Amino acid sequence: MEKTITQRSAWDKVLTKLQKRSLWMLHYCTGCGAVELPPTMTARFDMERFGIMPMVTPRQADILLITGYLSVKTLKRVVLIYEQMQSPKYVVGFGSCTINGGMYWNSYATIKSLDQYIPVEFYLAGCMPRPEAIIEGFTELIDRIGEGKANSWEDYYKNYEFYRKNQEHVFGTIDTRTDIPDDAKYFKIGEVEK
Amino acid sequence: MNTFLLLIFPLAGFLIAALFSAFSKKGLVVGKTFAFLGFSAIVLVAIMAKSEIGSIIYGPMMFGWQLQFGLTAISWYFALMISGISWLTVVFSLGALREGGTYPMYYAWLFAKNLGMLGVILSQDILAFFIMWEFMSWTTYFLLQQGTKKARSTAMGYLIYAIIASMILFAGIIFLHQASGSFGFSEIASTVAGFDMRTLILAAVLLLAPMLIESAAYPLHRWMAPAYSSAETGITAFLSAISTRIGLYGVAIFLFTVLGFTAMKKLSAGHYFNLQVVIMTIGAFTMVVPTFTALFQHDAKKLMAWHSVGQGGYMLVGLATATSLGVAGGLFHIFTYLTYVTLILFCIAAVEYRTGTTNLNSLGGLIKKQPIAYVGLLFGIIGLAGIPPMNGFVSKWLIYRSLILGGHPFLALAAFIGTLGTILSVYKLIHNIFLGQLPERYNDVKEVGFFMQLPIWILMLVVLGTGVFPGLILGWVAKIQVSLGVEPLAVTLSGVQASAGQLNMNVVSSVFGATMLVAFIIFLIGGRRRIVGQYNNYAAGHFLDKTVKYNFNYNFYSAYEHIFGKRFLNPPVKRGEEGLVALVERASDFARRIYTGGLNTYLAYSLGAVILMVVILKGAI
Amino acid sequence: MNSVIGLVVWIVFYPLIAFTVGVFLGGYGRKFTARVQRRVGPSWIQPFFDVIKLMRKRTNISHGYMHDISLMMLVSGTMLSLYFIPVPGFHYFSQFGDFVVIIYLLLIPSLGMALGVGETANPNGSIGISRALQMLFGYEVPFVLTFIGMAMLNGTTSMYELVQIQQSGGIATWGIVTHPLLGIAALFALQGMMNEKPFEVIIAPHEIATGPMTEMGGKYMGMMFIQHLINLFVELTIYANLFLGGAKNWFELLFKLFVLFTLILSVNSVFGRFRTDDAMRFMWKIPLPLAAIGVVGIMLGIG
Repeated sequence: MEKTITQRSAWDKVLTKLQKRSLWMLHYCTGCGAVELPPTMTARFDMERFGIMPMVTPRQADILLITGYLSVKTLKRVVLIYEQMQSPKYVVGFGSCTINGGMYWNSYATIKSLDQYIPVEFYLAGCMPRPEAIIEGFTELIDRIGEGKANSWEDYYKNYEFYRKNQEHVFGTIDTRTDIPDDAKYFKIGEVEK
Repeated sequence: MNTFLLLIFPLAGFLIAALFSAFSKKGLVVGKTFAFLGFSAIVLVAIMAKSEIGSIIYGPMMFGWQLQFGLTAISWYFALMISGISWLTVVFSLGALREGGTYPMYYAWLFAKNLGMLGVILSQDILAFFIMWEFMSWTTYFLLQQGTKKARSTAMGYLIYAIIASMILFAGIIFLHQASGSFGFSEIASTVAGFDMRTLILAAVLLLAPMLIESAAYPLHRWMAPAYSSAETGITAFLSAISTRIGLYGVAIFLFTVLGFTAMKKLSAGHYFNLQVVIMTIGAFTMVVPTFTALFQHDAKKLMAWHSVGQGGYMLVGLATATSLGVAGGLFHIFTYLTYVTLILFCIAAVEYRTGTTNLNSLGGLIKKQPIAYVGLLFGIIGLAGIPPMNGFVSKWLIYRSLILGGHPFLALAAFIGTLGTILSVYKLIHNIFLGQLPERYNDVKEVGFFMQLPIWILMLVVLGTGVFPGLILGWVAKIQVSLGVEPLAVTLSGVQASAGQLNMNVVSSVFGATMLVAFIIFLIGGRRRIVGQYNNYAAGHFLDKTVKYNFNYNFYSAYEHIFGKRFLNPPVKRGEEGLVALVERASDFARRIYTGGLNTYLAYSLGAVILMVVILKGAI
Repeated sequence: MNSVIGLVVWIVFYPLIAFTVGVFLGGYGRKFTARVQRRVGPSWIQPFFDVIKLMRKRTNISHGYMHDISLMMLVSGTMLSLYFIPVPGFHYFSQFGDFVVIIYLLLIPSLGMALGVGETANPNGSIGISRALQMLFGYEVPFVLTFIGMAMLNGTTSMYELVQIQQSGGIATWGIVTHPLLGIAALFALQGMMNEKPFEVIIAPHEIATGPMTEMGGKYMGMMFIQHLINLFVELTIYANLFLGGAKNWFELLFKLFVLFTLILSVNSVFGRFRTDDAMRFMWKIPLPLAAIGVVGIMLGIG
């Protein structure tokens, strides 16, 4: 019993080591901060060194990078896009506004903390975070994936009621056409491995 | 005996069905049962007639000539195809035909059409050929009328072309009779060698031109697509599958049996007129132009009707090469084309039966509702595009090879361009009907019933089966080649054993199967997958529901329409045809003005006529 | 008996070899582009990481059975054409199907992908397919004409025999040397065939959200990647066999593929994107007349 688990996890470890070298990113830049991404991707900092590439649709993406503030209206789209992404998926909050509302703390139209609505893997604090910070954050993420610790996405399946309640509190009911609790059962996410 | 029955059964069927429909406007079930039994009998007789190949039966005397009918290798091939497709059409109609509408004369004309076609392929002299040809043209006209309101005018278009064809053919028969003193195929063939060049050219033109009109060869093709597409869908399938190909039967018979190889060599050696090059060029244009016209159609039936013009070009080119590979390709393509085009049109008919439309811009997403029709159409379009492992590939492969190795690079290119155009337009066909977003109004569409599914299943089996084992049909094609005097193809069950390279469809399809299995294993290695609905879709963060038309099917090949649209939608042939019509109209208008209704003018005409007569008589004296 | 074992070994390992070569070529391609842009670029086997990641996705969505089957058709069609392409040491299947067969087999992946993307019911995908098929028409026509010319000249449509004929006299009998016009025309066509810039309008990420790949995620995308990598090998090898005299050993073959791919990448990395109709016009204005002149030359007995 003990042995099979170790063999499996050894195999798993190898694949995870390979897997962590490829991350595709969907950037959601309706707020500010998009200006920090071109230098991150191009010759100065070159994100592709780590296998991180921008991708276009949520189906292909692993990372959802949300830059700047999120208004209530755009949060709907973020939730839809997040649910359309394929697990494992990692949300990265970029800039102070995603953490606590930042300079929009008083605004009636923006949300304060992103992790109330979708599980966030990590935040990049600052206004703006520089490309160095982004690279730093992503290397950290890569390491965590390699160690198998980047599991925030499972939380959305496990604690869906919590997120759903917060979402509905902001914008009422929406139909994203994805039944998260049922998906969790179907894909056996969050079940304890025997 | 069976040969005789092949003519008697359709005749009897025609008379009985016509009488029945004259007295009883209802009784659809009786009509269907009778037609089913009748056509089953014809198929059986056609199969049994194989033993009678080579024998001749004599018909009535006409103009001092006894009409001859008989079976040859090629006519048995055609007899089987005609009766088989008729039977499938009837089986399909058991489910598809509803009370009222095109019924009651439907079956009567179907029997009559069969009589005409079987008569043409059984006749062994040009007089019988002409008589049956005429009969066939008329029945086609009546069959074409059995459709929409538009059908009457488009059928008239066919009729005009058919009459022109008949006139030319009639002239050709009289001419040949004068030149050789006989009507019989074999008698003419024996005297052809003695003809001088001019006689030979005239004979060839007079015989082949009507056949090219009937097989809708470019630029005499414009009657076909409108006429066929406005007929009832089952009839469209039947007509474009086999009726048009009778013209190619005529080409084959006249080229190889009546004129023969010596005449063909003579005709192809001339410096100012080269028959082979002329036919091949016509074939090349037929392959390319209608295929691209098909690309711009917005109606499934019309699209297929244009293809049925275009595919004729392959057969024509194949036959005209007069090589072992090419003739086999041409003859086999007649069969393969027949199977997949019927399949495609039956599937379109199945969709039309449920949705009531064949408009490619308004359908979509029906794969969820009619999966069997989808798979049928898929098999059909793979065949039509000529992609392995379906049978269309084998026939096209033969034609390509004969063209490449025969030193016709640009003809081979034309054939390939035709194929690419076919792929483009058939993808548009399947995409706009079955793929993409399902409109809400088709939410309760169901699969069609047993009788409509049965022909689809059978044809799917045939399309795949003769693709994997092309030898089943190619074996008989080789026998036809012997009887036509062409060097037969070296055929194996699995393909062709040609001198420079071979084709083994068994290997190709089994490797295909194996790689499919490997791909399936790769698919299984990946994680679990879940099937989601069509509204769970990437729309850049937009919430999709039934109010959003999130589909792309209108103007599907916009870049092409941008470049070619005008040229193919308003081609010179169409303008020429319109010019001719305008000319006739103007001439008629002038003729109308002669009758003014005034007495004075008529008196003046009479006076003029009298003076003219006097002058002529004086001159004559 | 020995040959049978050898055959089985080849059949099993040939796709794996092609995939491995494809991975290195794909990685090289990305590295090359990165270096042109003065970046460091990803790992040499980055496509391999991508495939592993995609195949290990926990959730995958499908839009129906045709969506699944189409991906299998995609991979299997490419593998199928792979088997019929002769490479040093393995040309067993090329006796059962000639080049015409290969051209048609190469259409299976296109058709398969087109059908699956159609079922995803995403207009971006459909537009991508519409563009892909139109582009197919653009580049296949000159490519086929060059092949017809080669086949006519050598009197065979078998790819293996073409390779043998070209190898008979060293570099002097290579297709690109004996018929430079055909070789150059096919090179243009190859650029389009491999969907490299400037003929990359099918994917066009900023316009139609990667077109056919819009709804492909997880293992679906992974299979598309696998197909793409094998296809790199297939398409380059076809060109090498037709015009660069094939190869006597694998080292030679890989070297030729490397050089050829570098040529294509260097065009790729400095060009923008042509619109669909412009791309087609280009294909018919430059490569097609080149090929046609070449073929007429062959017919007249020149060269």
